[in-house]
This record gives sequence, structure tokens and C-alpha cells, in this order.
Amino acid sequence: MPIYRQIIDQIKYQVATGMLKEGDKVPSVRELAAKLAVNQNTILKVYNELCRENVLKIERGDGTYVSSSKQNISVSERKKAVANSLREVATLAVQLDLPLEQVSELLEKEYKTILSQKAGSLKKDSKEK
Amino acid sequence: MSEPAIKIEGLHFSYGKKQVLKGVNLEVPKGSIFGFLGRNGTGKTTLIKTMLGLQKPKSGKCLVGGMDSFTQTLDIRKRIGFMAEDQQMYGWMKVKQIIKWVAGFYPNWDYEFSDKLIVKFGLSLDAKVKELSKGQNSSLALLLALGHRPDIVILDDPTLGLDPIARKDFLRHVIELLQSDGVTVFFSSHLLYEIEPVADYIAILDKGVIVKSCKTEELRESVRRFILTPSSNTNFSEIPGILDTFQTGNTISVTIEDCTEQKREKIKSMSSNGTQENELNLDEIFEAYVIGNKGLESIESKI
Repeated sequence: MPIYRQIIDQIKYQVATGMLKEGDKVPSVRELAAKLAVNQNTILKVYNELCRENVLKIERGDGTYVSSSKQNISVSERKKAVANSLREVATLAVQLDLPLEQVSELLEKEYKTILSQKAGSLKKDSKEK
Repeated sequence: MSEPAIKIEGLHFSYGKKQVLKGVNLEVPKGSIFGFLGRNGTGKTTLIKTMLGLQKPKSGKCLVGGMDSFTQTLDIRKRIGFMAEDQQMYGWMKVKQIIKWVAGFYPNWDYEFSDKLIVKFGLSLDAKVKELSKGQNSSLALLLALGHRPDIVILDDPTLGLDPIARKDFLRHVIELLQSDGVTVFFSSHLLYEIEPVADYIAILDKGVIVKSCKTEELRESVRRFILTPSSNTNFSEIPGILDTFQTGNTISVTIEDCTEQKREKIKSMSSNGTQENELNLDEIFEAYVIGNKGLESIESKI
């Protein structure tokens, strides 16, 4: 998998699990590039892609933030985005002869894990406050 | 586009009768990080030495920062930073002594900057050079290459012999100190996976010529391997850009570069029962370029 894809996935995961919260400022392109030892243009591409997908938002002259505009995306748009990723999963499952029930089970388990992680990080947050 | 930082045209170089560079053409865009790959002994260091004007090419042209490598060697030295492969430094000197000594060669040495780097790299001014670890040694060599604030930096296999953490630290410094300031970095290595995250462009040198030069992401996206059972009378040489072919039983795997929809269709039409298309990992891509048989070998069973 290309490096920019890996970084995109990691940031999305952090947003989904609440490690990064709406309105959080993410590191600048320079900072993240230096931290990961990755070309700055790669990070720029990552941030642009994540902005396009409404995960991040660039405030000109200020910085890049985790977007809070998720609610502005229509349900059908959101469904479409999920369906796209699920196609890959479905293809793999059919290829490997895994029955639908077992795939659903796996999906449910992953979904719940992420929700509980998110709940955990919210709880920790309110304690700190 | 602006004039490239480094421009090499038709460069030939021989050690006696042994031809090492056989017509190298290369352009390094200004401000880019350029990864220069090749196996050990393919002439990477020879090309770098020629770029620096340390040796005279048999023919061809080499411009660094718009200056001729061979006739304007001294001007080039002032403008570029260079770190040699496995750089040897006077072991008996202390860190502060070697910095003072090297700085003496450059009227434009930036002491404030080199002091900053000492702290950043965690070097101790009173340590003897021979007592430094390999990682500290390469940090010091980098400092000595950068102290005069060059706008082009040439690093010859700078991470050779470093452990993975020291290697990552080194690459981090390159990105933080050089890319941020718009410095052009020409960086040789024999490890594609090391170059990939940092390089904007990649060139592969093999058998004295550049066999590939492109944007880093293109390299990964454009090389594909197809596995198929060919129908009779197939002639793979009709497809341009074959890097490697390999046969096991009646199955053939074909690796091609610049894979377009057209080539994909062509290959599919040669198969008797469908094709499987795979992406390659970086090591496999590098291998395909440097030891691939280019489809020239007659296809016969090898196992």
C-alpha cells in the first residue's frame, strides 16, 4: 500500500476512535513530515485528500483541524462512502469462501470495538476536564 | 519549468578499459529530494564523483547548479554540500576542532547554524571523532556538509551501516533541515524501501545507464505483473516495456512497466484462460529493473 494511503487510514482511524476529536488541531505539514520521516509533499497530499473527504479542514493561515462538518454530509453520501470500502471486503470474502454470516459477525465486532474505544476516550476526556 | 538543479547529458566514464558510465542522462528538479538507486558497484559513486568534478568524464556534460562540473569545480564546491560514502574523518580531532577546520575552507560558513545542529544532533563538542558511534559519525558528516548553507546537497549512501532507528533519524533531519528550506537533495542508496517515503523522484542506475527515472509514486503505480497461460503463437515481444518474464510449467509471469489499459488488454488477449494482475512490492520492482531479463531470454521451463 502506498505510504500516503497508510497515513490517511491511520488518521481516519484516530478520528473514528476519538483519539482525534472534532476541532482538534493536527500537526502542520512540516511537523508531521519530520515526525514520520516522510516527504512533505506526501503529507500535503494526505491533508488535501482528507479535506476533500471532509475529515479535516484547513483554516487558511491558522492550521489544519479535524472537521466537524460530518453532519453536513447527507446519509446517502455517507452510505456511498461506506459501500465503496465494503466492496473490497466483500470481494475478499467471496474469494476466500467466507460465508456472509461470518463476515457480518466480523464487521459487527470491529464496529463495536471502535465504538467502545471512542466511548473510552470520551470518558477519559471528561475526567480530565 | 525552471532550470534543473542538476543536469547530466550523455555522460561516459571509464576506468581504463572498463566502461562504468555508458551515456547517463539525468535531470534533477530544483528543490526536490531525488533518490538515486543502484546495486553496489553499478557506478553510483562514480557518477557522484564526476558530478563533483573530482574526475573527468570521457564525454558528455554535467551541470550542477548551472555550473560545469569539470571547469567550474571550485564554484560548485562553494554552492553544494557533499557527504561521502562511509566518510572518513580525522579520528584524533575533537568535534569542535573538525568543525573549525572544515569551516576554514568556506568563507560563507554559518556558525550559528552549525551550533544549532550540534544541539539538534546531540553531539558533544569535546568528543573525539574516533569515539563517536556510527550514527553520531554520520550526523557530524551531515553537519560538515551543511554548515555553509548549500542549496544543493549530494549524499552518497549516507545511511550505509546505520541501524534502523539512526537511519530514520537521519532521514528526518534531511526532511526537516533541507526540504523545508527548498534545498535540492540528491541521495544515493541501494535500498528502494528506504528512499520511497522521502524521495519526490527516483532514478535507477544499472549497467552504466539510467533504466528508470520518474516520480516516486509513479514507480509503484505503473509496474505490474501478469500471470497467465499463453495461447499458442503468442509473441510477448509485441508488448513494449517488458521488464521480466518467468515460466513455471505452462504458466508465465510477465512484468511490465508503464502499464496502460492498452497493454493490459493486449496481455489479456494473449491468455488462453484469463489473467491475474498483481502489484509488486518495492524490492520486486527494483529487482525487475536491475536483474529482469527484459523478456529477451527464450521462455523455457526453469524449474
